[in-house]
Amino acid sequence: MSKLQVSAEVPNEIHMTRVFDAPRRLVIKAMSTPELIKRWQGGVRTTVVVAEVDLRVGGRYRTVYRLPDGTEFYFSGVYQEVSDDRVVHTEAFNDQPGEALVITTYAERDGKTTMSVVMRFPSQEIRDQVLATGMADGAGESYDELDKLLASL
Amino acid sequence: MRAAHLDATFAALADPTRRAILARLAQGEATVMELVEPFALSQPAISKHLKVLEKAGLISRGRDGARRPCRLEPAPLRAIDVWIERFRASWEERFAALDDVLEELKQNERQPKRRGKP
Repeated sequence: MSKLQVSAEVPNEIHMTRVFDAPRRLVIKAMSTPELIKRWQGGVRTTVVVAEVDLRVGGRYRTVYRLPDGTEFYFSGVYQEVSDDRVVHTEAFNDQPGEALVITTYAERDGKTTMSVVMRFPSQEIRDQVLATGMADGAGESYDELDKLLASL
Repeated sequence: MRAAHLDATFAALADPTRRAILARLAQGEATVMELVEPFALSQPAISKHLKVLEKAGLISRGRDGARRPCRLEPAPLRAIDVWIERFRASWEERFAALDDVLEELKQNERQPKRRGKP
């Protein structure tokens, strides 16, 4: 059983659940401190080159990723709710329209934290695009042939 | 059952030659010999890849005598499960790195003034 659970049962949403062996305070710290974000959020193929976080209601964040070929892309948004166990923010890809609402809750128990993320998109079409492209960039291998193939079906 | 099937699909797709074979078959069916030529691989090597693809349900083999043309079976590829799994794998890579960062933060809290080695 993999550690990260992902569900796409709601047509315009992606749900993720993951348990971390650390108290909530540290999980939130690692997810909202620029120097720490740079250390984990890149994945295998991408490097985080800019991480800006202003974690308060109305504050903005921006994360710029760089691919091995030098191409850069970014996610950015505004925090709408910030509390010890719940953070809600918008999320746009390269400032394109069709931004998502991301609701993250943190439940701590016995020193472990269960993080639940709901990404809510304006439509199923945009949700499927996100599943199929942008955020899978860290997947490590080039699936160009597969992408072409899928585009032809 | 479903998870096992998905594993087979992903194992089959993990190889660039097999993805290229599928891309070729998306343009129309082909025999083993027709696939040998563009890929510059031996017939046994191509046949081995085709077996993996067939087992994963990604292609079917015709019954046209010795020709047995290969045909793309797009259903497993259309399944959104494929996308979900890629998405999941990409985030799990990141969260595994986050695990390491968290471990270090915990260590630092336990030994706040001993970050440097003696």
